[in-house]
Amino acid sequence: MADSPAFESPVVRSYETSEDGDLLLTDVSATIKWLVRASPDGAVADQLGASFGSSSAAASGATVLGSRPGEWIVLGTAAEAAGAVEGLEGLDSSDLVSCLDWTHGRALFRVTGNEAARMLEKVCSLDWSDPMTPDGAVASASVAKVTCDVARNDVDGTPSYLVFCDRSFGQYLFDALIDAGDEFGLVVGPAGG
Amino acid sequence: MTMSRLEAQPTEVIDRSTTQRFRWNGKRFSGFEGDTIASALAAAGEHVFSRSMKYHRPRGILTADYWDPNLLVQVGDDPNVRAGHRLLEAGMDVQAQNVWPSLRHDIKAANGLVSRFLTAGFYYKTFMRPQKLWPAYERVLATFAPGGKVDPDTPHRYHDKRYTHPDVVVAGAGPAGIEAALAAAAAGARVLLVEHEHAVGGHLRYAHPEPARAALSELRAALDASDVEVLTDSTVTGRYEDNWLGIVQRNHPIAVERLIKARAKVLVVAPGLIERPFVFSGNDRPGVITSGAARRLINLWGVKPGERAVVFTANSDGDAAAADLDRVGVEVAAVIDGRDGRRVSAAQGSSKALEAVLAGGTRTEADLLVVAAGWTAPTSLLNMSGDRPVYDPNAARFFPSDPPGNVLATGGLAGDGSLDELRAHGAATGQLAAERAAAVAHRYQARTARALPVTGDEPAWVADLRVPLRRTHHPELHRSDTHGMIDFSEDVGSKDLVAAAREGYDSVELAKRYTTATMGSAQGKLETVNTVAAIAEARGETIAQVGTTVWRPPYAPLTLGALAGRVFEPVRVSSIHPWHEANGVRTILAGQWIRPDHYGDPAAEVRNVRANVGLIDVTPLGKLDLRGPDIPKLLNLLYTNKWSKLPVGKVRYGMMCAEDGVVLDDGVTGRLGEDHYLMTTTSSGAAGVWEWVENWLQTERPHWRVHVTPVTTAYSSINVAGPKSRELVSRVVEGVDLSPEAFKYMEVRTATVAGVAGCFMWRIGFTGELSFELHVPAGHGMHVWEALMEAGADLGVGPFGLEGQRIMRLEKGHFIVGQDTDGLTLGPSTGLSPLIKLDKDDFAGLPELAWAADRKLPMIVAIQPDDPNVVPEEAAQIVRGDTNEILGRITSSRMSPMLGRAICLGQVEPELAAGGTKVTVLLVSGERISATVMDHHAHFDPDGERLRG
Repeated sequence: MADSPAFESPVVRSYETSEDGDLLLTDVSATIKWLVRASPDGAVADQLGASFGSSSAAASGATVLGSRPGEWIVLGTAAEAAGAVEGLEGLDSSDLVSCLDWTHGRALFRVTGNEAARMLEKVCSLDWSDPMTPDGAVASASVAKVTCDVARNDVDGTPSYLVFCDRSFGQYLFDALIDAGDEFGLVVGPAGG
Repeated sequence: MTMSRLEAQPTEVIDRSTTQRFRWNGKRFSGFEGDTIASALAAAGEHVFSRSMKYHRPRGILTADYWDPNLLVQVGDDPNVRAGHRLLEAGMDVQAQNVWPSLRHDIKAANGLVSRFLTAGFYYKTFMRPQKLWPAYERVLATFAPGGKVDPDTPHRYHDKRYTHPDVVVAGAGPAGIEAALAAAAAGARVLLVEHEHAVGGHLRYAHPEPARAALSELRAALDASDVEVLTDSTVTGRYEDNWLGIVQRNHPIAVERLIKARAKVLVVAPGLIERPFVFSGNDRPGVITSGAARRLINLWGVKPGERAVVFTANSDGDAAAADLDRVGVEVAAVIDGRDGRRVSAAQGSSKALEAVLAGGTRTEADLLVVAAGWTAPTSLLNMSGDRPVYDPNAARFFPSDPPGNVLATGGLAGDGSLDELRAHGAATGQLAAERAAAVAHRYQARTARALPVTGDEPAWVADLRVPLRRTHHPELHRSDTHGMIDFSEDVGSKDLVAAAREGYDSVELAKRYTTATMGSAQGKLETVNTVAAIAEARGETIAQVGTTVWRPPYAPLTLGALAGRVFEPVRVSSIHPWHEANGVRTILAGQWIRPDHYGDPAAEVRNVRANVGLIDVTPLGKLDLRGPDIPKLLNLLYTNKWSKLPVGKVRYGMMCAEDGVVLDDGVTGRLGEDHYLMTTTSSGAAGVWEWVENWLQTERPHWRVHVTPVTTAYSSINVAGPKSRELVSRVVEGVDLSPEAFKYMEVRTATVAGVAGCFMWRIGFTGELSFELHVPAGHGMHVWEALMEAGADLGVGPFGLEGQRIMRLEKGHFIVGQDTDGLTLGPSTGLSPLIKLDKDDFAGLPELAWAADRKLPMIVAIQPDDPNVVPEEAAQIVRGDTNEILGRITSSRMSPMLGRAICLGQVEPELAAGGTKVTVLLVSGERISATVMDHHAHFDPDGERLRG
């Protein structure tokens, strides 16, 4: 990645952006993402520390999402993500462990704000209440009819959700989220990573 | 019936300072903000709003609310608008429906003259024969169809959708419903309160006495101070498994309607009671209204419903209506008390000079006949929950029997009582709902991986210890000593039901369908009990013995727009899509993918590829990343050929068959490392193959050590094809020897392309040309594409689309799964029998393919029409001579730019598969042409010299 040209986001349309808004949608597709697969109850699972449906913080600073039994998404900067996955494939010779750089395969958006759950109610049938989807929760769901991974990842106490989808759906889903957030005053934030 | 606007009323909901002008049947009218269409018209003295469905009898206000069957009007492009409910808006263009030439003078009212012949089942009996005349009948009958007009050019309006998961949904915001919502919220539940009308309060809204108004103020203030989410002008339309509720929210600020799908842990049903009409001769005349209608007109909208009234009352609501009428200056000429056994027998005369006739013959002149004869308990949501409400003759209505534990009834549906008693029952119900919801929430939370961990055991299911509401005696008042209208929407009278029962349709379900009673706009809310009573009377049985129909969703009719909700149509694009758009692409929708079909001239694109070099964006090509030591076993199982010895750096073609031997998919798989492979599938088969692979791994071979990850969109895939492709690729690739000796056909390399590391590149050739397929990390797809275009400018590089690719693959004779194969095409039919290795231990489809090996099967063959200029349509049939005996079909056809002639692939019966066989192709035009089966699939470069170049 370091030697490659700049990452091109799947969101190619131009939007008026602002960082000031009670409900903010940000394209963070450039975030480094790794997919790790291993036994759900082996040494890798222990090291990553996030069981299915939950998330954890790796020592490297990466965020680890337990996206499925025996499957994790690792998020962060290149160094953070690499630090989290380094050595996993050799951790337990009896376990099949695979680590795949998924950065290019998944679009990633962040929705932040107190009305974020109300907005997501318009495009996704999950129960977004605090007991059912607390900070750190991870789930798979249809969002605007696109299969997505969704993680609640609050920012400074404000509800915030990460939404992942296949890169090719990225532009469609970004627009669908803007549409869903319109009635709540959604603002598009500058793309980040 | 002379209606007019009253002085301001203390409970009115109109804002007299805001006048709204509108049109009614072309004439100018005005009302106030807060008026319904009907109240504004009534205040202006209008008393006829519609004509009845069959007999076109004039109809006036009956209930003055959502359920009023006589108040369906056309508003602009909207048909069947409920004028008793829809709020007036300035500029509305309101029209009466299904009248000609006018509401006042409707020629179709002539139907009334022959009403004795238009009995139940008239259509069924009359228009069955002769069958050939049905189209003519249909045209005539269509002119009598009720309802408004739909303009097909009406712009599509926005309908929204939302999901929600409240602990408790309360359907109905009367005093009991509000108390239930407040109590549930106070107990910690998340509560959604849904009210059908425009404001909460139920009957308190139009109850005049001060205690009722004080109670309403108190309840509204408590709601405002609570966390209860209140939806007004909204209806719980259906209850499904596990309290999955459909709710329609009308007139949302951003949408015409919003469909809410709510998963409630507990549903509280509190819709109140609906006043039902009394059946007597002339009961559908304008001027005959329910007591609720009189009270709503007076108290909500300040409308004086008449000048001189007769009130027939059998309950306190009727008494209250008489008091309201008297209070606002309507002369109450007579009060007929149904509790004393007295009955109104007929309404005669015109709407302006009505004459109420009592049983016994006493006549009283009036312009208004107010009727309070009892209520229907709208038990629909209980029925949908599986409950079978039971009729209580003492109270003259149905009551819940045994609804499931997560459905609770309160308010008038559950019984009678003082306002305080109803509120107390509501509060107890809310408390119980919250406690039960807590148990359900605990269960959901415990079962959901992402949820907060639960503490302790699931709370016990709280017993229902509510003090039941009592049941007050009410006389059974269904029909007087005369016959009259039962279903005002469908123009079905009590005589029709008696006749239906006499003809053998004496089951309520049969009679309903035979007569259409209860099937109109009120969905039985006004008609069901009287319908059942009429059948019971005809059968000489009780209502309880007859039973009632099963009320199914929707509780209230809803629009198709609401049902359709918001339309999501996901589309996929590749990273290179913006370049295509900027360069004149004509796109084609392939599944969900928006793909380049061509850039203006597909034939020119083909010629350029054959002469120079072309680029095609093949990102949708399915790609699965395979990792693990058991991949060869997996590939041997999935493909019909052998995979145990594929070396690192090599690519192999494979065909997949399903367990029945039918071709499922095909593609190439390359070995990137010792335990690392990349499988490609067809674009359309990408998702299906992934599921197929996972199905084998998860259910059939769970002990195999293989990880499969779909990476279709992780890579932008670019095929560089043409005799100059090697030269072009060499200009952007670093560190790979591209010479034919070093990088052979069907090999794969990892490369850095245009500075992008981590690319895969393999030599294959669907187009039949020397080609290099590059798989580039998708975030750099555009960069690599543009680099190739720039680097190849002097080589004549150009883009080509799907159409050009399809032409070239057809020239080469490559079949496409799903295009040239179908759901019956067995593996050997493709001509790839050498790739079906029956000596393998096992693979998907082996038994069927072993069986098929000895049999003659339809075959995919190359076909050329003898007239080179005729391109048969795809799917044109191949027939035997001049007969219509089908022997095959054309599966693909194009004009070949290279050969200058029509070329085809087709499937034919085995006896036609040999090269040189003449076949007859039946074109869509009916013309038959002759064509010749070719020796090889390839029309062009059959020896593959260009491919391996």
